Amino acid sequence: MPVHRALAPICAALLAGAQPLPAAADPLPPDTTYRPLPVMPPSRAHAIDEAQKPAVMARQRELLDSRYDLADRPLPGAMMSGGTKPVQEGVRVRLPEGQDWDSLAAMTPAEIRDGDLLPQGFLPLPHVKQATGGQVFPQNQIDRIAAQEQRDLRRFDVDFDLPDHLTPEFPPPIFLTTQPHLGDVSRGELLTIRNYYEIMNGLVTPVQMEGLRLLLTPFPQEEFNQTEDRKVADPSLGVACLDCHSNFHSNAAFHQTPDVRPQASRFRLDTTSLRGMFNQQIHGSKRSLRSIEDFTEFEQRTAYFNGDHVSATRKGVHLPDRANQVAMMAQMQNIIDFPPAPKLDPFGRLDPTLATEQELAGEAVFLGKGRCAECHNPQTAFMDNQMHDLKLERFYKPGQVHNDMATLPDGPIKTFTLRGIKDSPPYLHDGRLMTLADTVEFFNLVLGTGLSGDEKEALTAYLLTL
Amino acid sequence: MFPRMIAAGWVLLAAPALAQIGNPGNLAPDTAMQDAATPAPHQRNAHDTLSYQLLAAGGMAEVALAQLALDRAGSDELRGFAEMMVRDHSDANERLAALAEAANVPLPEGPDPEHQAMQERLAGLEGGDFDLAYIRGQITDHQKTVQLLSAEVTGGQDAELQRLAAELLPVVQGHLDRARDIHARLAGISPAVTPAPVARPDPAATPDPAATPDPAATPDPGASPDPAAASPAPPAAPAAPETP
Ligand code: HEC
Ligand code: HEC
Repeated sequence: MPVHRALAPICAALLAGAQPLPAAADPLPPDTTYRPLPVMPPSRAHAIDEAQKPAVMARQRELLDSRYDLADRPLPGAMMSGGTKPVQEGVRVRLPEGQDWDSLAAMTPAEIRDGDLLPQGFLPLPHVKQATGGQVFPQNQIDRIAAQEQRDLRRFDVDFDLPDHLTPEFPPPIFLTTQPHLGDVSRGELLTIRNYYEIMNGLVTPVQMEGLRLLLTPFPQEEFNQTEDRKVADPSLGVACLDCHSNFHSNAAFHQTPDVRPQASRFRLDTTSLRGMFNQQIHGSKRSLRSIEDFTEFEQRTAYFNGDHVSATRKGVHLPDRANQVAMMAQMQNIIDFPPAPKLDPFGRLDPTLATEQELAGEAVFLGKGRCAECHNPQTAFMDNQMHDLKLERFYKPGQVHNDMATLPDGPIKTFTLRGIKDSPPYLHDGRLMTLADTVEFFNLVLGTGLSGDEKEALTAYLLTL
Repeated sequence: MFPRMIAAGWVLLAAPALAQIGNPGNLAPDTAMQDAATPAPHQRNAHDTLSYQLLAAGGMAEVALAQLALDRAGSDELRGFAEMMVRDHSDANERLAALAEAANVPLPEGPDPEHQAMQERLAGLEGGDFDLAYIRGQITDHQKTVQLLSAEVTGGQDAELQRLAAELLPVVQGHLDRARDIHARLAGISPAVTPAPVARPDPAATPDPAATPDPAATPDPGASPDPAAASPAPPAAPAAPETP
């Protein structure tokens, strides 16, 4: 192309497209990024919140029931690692009318999208009250903390939305990398600021003990603090790290991502387990913070998962000292082990003398046709320390609003470890999948691996051995 | 837009329009309530008022800019886009105006300074230059509108406006996707945002894996029937920053 013809459009494009922003351009309103200060008197807001609660919960239940079969159906013979709660069986995501899993898997993503055939349970899961968001604790945690610490984790505007049998066992067992010979050291107790010393003395170093104390110390947080926009009846002492990461695992407490605005686009976050943090190089489903120290320091700094240092500063912020406090909190987290997986050898592969035929068949699918190991590498604790964009939006039209949440593409998300995975329902970063069988159907569709019924069952059986 | 969206199955998608439930802390302090939990119809907070203003000004500007585009656009694809803008935004503007009237919110009479400036700038361009400048402006506009609508869904309290925002959000997101796609083609970015599927020879029909399919028989996605290709729109500078 002659030079003058090539250049002319470039100049025009620069003129037209790359001019400095005209001074007249207004930014989007501030509350698209910043949390607005409440203007309604708190007593009245409280009364309206309480009045809204039944409708809020009914609306969420309706959404959950339309997406999932939430029945209590334990998988025979499969218990979580502490032996106190059965693993749930079967695929729980509801199929669209007239389809089965094979017919869906045979379609192209565009056909599923255009026919509106993506099972709705595969879509991002809204927070129970998207407009307010914030931390929501399950009843078992609320009750234990009330009994032991007389601290109130109950919100007056919302309740936890998933049935208890679809959440991790409570309290979960604790395995230490430093005491592998002891097994679960939790004594069946929930670690709290009241009992941690008695339970952990003799098992941890002074540094780890101090880290543990800080991880159990409540600090003010967005919905649990003294200000008028708290969502607890009385001014609150706040929340501790291990209020969500019960015994360093998860109680399925949920929240919203700190990393996205505006509020309607913030996706739900299911609490991740802190087991095996020692092997993980990136932290958070989106932020990819590079060390456990950074994560710990920052979550305290921004009042746990709001990405909002401005609001946190108003409510009371904790700035843990990097060298003296953060390091100790991190070192405590870094000795939490995965639960034992007796059938795995040192390479993370099944020992053929211990595993069943079906489990071995499942491993073969995991490594081969199912392509799972390409991201969940057995040799690196079943992850790859990468984030991947699964591009689910190939299968649906983005932008639809469900319970006030804008259903938008997830973008790249951290590959979670699959070690001890049977212990941590619900699954995916937002907890949108209830069982491991659901995750197998999800990945089979999203990855287009075309697994047969037998292969999917074997894969599910294999995941239970991890 | 709505007749088309309905034809495309929009109605099937929408769950029964469940009530918007906001954070009562952000209700206006003088809100009249219809019952203990629900603001009376057309009660609004500052966020709603602002949404009305910004959406109305933006909507008017979209129609005016699209009409300019119908006059000037060099590419057929862009004309198609502009027609969609006129149709969809006229419809949305009417619905917004009706709600504003019911809620007694005065709306702006014309486009805001930002859109006026854009209109003046576009008025001085033609052909491929116009096409690129228009579609780049459209991308920024629709990005902003998506964020605005999303913010209204959780930040407002006027349930009808919030429902309208929720209903428009996927539509505007669709416009944004389409604008990015057109821009990619006009600017020669390859592959486009939504590449057309490549027709492959049916493997069952070619039993011999060694037989290479005739390359001429495989349509090149870049050369797929593209109305824009017929227009003089040239490949532009490598994606210039998206500023209006
Ligand atoms: C509201 C419940 C809650 C509280 C309180 C909480 N966390 Fe978490 N934690 C989460 C959730 C949810 C995630 C997942 C975050 C994400 O995906 O971005 C997470 C992730 C983490 C991770 C990264 C795990 C991974 O897989 O990348 C670490 C480390 C962590 N939390 C430590 C802490 C510490 C330290 C504290 C106290 C300062 C804390 N958490 C308080 C819920 C909580
Ligand atoms: C392209 C990389 C990739 C492949 C291949 C892949 N995964 Fe994943 N996996 C991920 C990512 C990323 C996540 C987190 C997704 C999210 O939370 O939205 C994840 C999450 C999971 C989870 C949930 C973990 C949790 O803690 O909630 C399970 C279970 C899982 N994958 C199983 C599988 C299986 C089984 C396969 C093979 C059929 C597979 N994955 C293939 C990347 C991958």
